[in-house]
Amino acid sequence: MSDEQLIQEILSGNKEAFHTLMLKYQQPVFRTVMGFVHSKEDAEDITQDVFLQVFRSLSTFQGNAKFSTWLYRIALNTSINHVNRNKWRNFFTASGDSLKSIFNRSNEDKNPQQQLEVNEREKMIRQAIEQLPEKQRTAFILSKYEELSQREIAEIMETTEGAVEQLLQRAKLFLRKKLAHLVGK
Amino acid sequence: MKIDEQIDDFIHQEKQIQPNSFLATRIMAKLEDSEQVHRKIPALQKLAIAVSLTLIVMMGIGIGSIGKFTDNYASININDTQIENLNLYIFDSYE
Repeated sequence: MSDEQLIQEILSGNKEAFHTLMLKYQQPVFRTVMGFVHSKEDAEDITQDVFLQVFRSLSTFQGNAKFSTWLYRIALNTSINHVNRNKWRNFFTASGDSLKSIFNRSNEDKNPQQQLEVNEREKMIRQAIEQLPEKQRTAFILSKYEELSQREIAEIMETTEGAVEQLLQRAKLFLRKKLAHLVGK
Repeated sequence: MKIDEQIDDFIHQEKQIQPNSFLATRIMAKLEDSEQVHRKIPALQKLAIAVSLTLIVMMGIGIGSIGKFTDNYASININDTQIENLNLYIFDSYE
C-alpha cells in the first residue's frame, strides 16, 4: 500500500493503517533523532512525539511534498526543539553518561584503559557534532545517518542542492578542525 | 586512524542501535490514551462550566445576605423647605 493510500485510510479512521505507516517509518525517524540526541531512551521518546504529532496533523498534510519529506521535517523540528530545551541538562549529564557507557560495554575485547579512551573519543566526536551550527548539523545528520541524496536533503530543508553541498563541506571542515587533536590517538 | 574514518565509525555504531521492538505498540497505546482524554474533555468542560456558574450564583446570594439591613432603624423626617429657601443666602439681604 502506498503512503497516499495509507494516509487516506488513516483519515477515514483506520488505526491499523497508522500502525503500518509507523512500522514503515519508525527506523528512519529514530535514526535521524539519534543523530541529534545520541541516546536511545531520548530518541524513543522523541520518535513517539513525532508520530503523535503526525497523527494529529495528518489532516493538514496537503500532499505538495512527499510524505517522507513532511515526516522528516517534523522529526527535525522536534529534535532541534528538544536539543535546545535540554542544553543545560545535557551539559551536566555528559560526564555521567561517559562513565555509564564504560560499565555498559562489557562485551568488547578491550581493557578498561582502552575502553576509557574509546569512550573519550566518542564523547569528543559527539560534542563536535553537537557544536555544529543548526543548518550544517541538519544537513550532516540527513546525509550521514540517513544517507539521503543532496536533492532529498535540499527538499527537506527547503533550500537548493548547492546550498546543501556547501553546508556539508562546512560541516566536514568544522569537524576536522574540532577533532584535529584525535589524529594519531 | 583518520578523523573522517573515526566520525564514520562513530556514526556507524550509533546507526546499529535499534529502537525498542514495542515502540510502535507503545505509540499506539499512547494515541488511544490521548484520544480518550480528548473525548472526555468536552463533557468535563460542560460540567465544569455548569458547576462554576452555580457556585457563582450561590456566592452572589451569600454575599448579598451578609449586608442585609435589620428592621430596627429610626426614621427621621426632615422638612427641608427652609434649607431650600435660597433667599436666606442672598448676599444683599445681609448687607
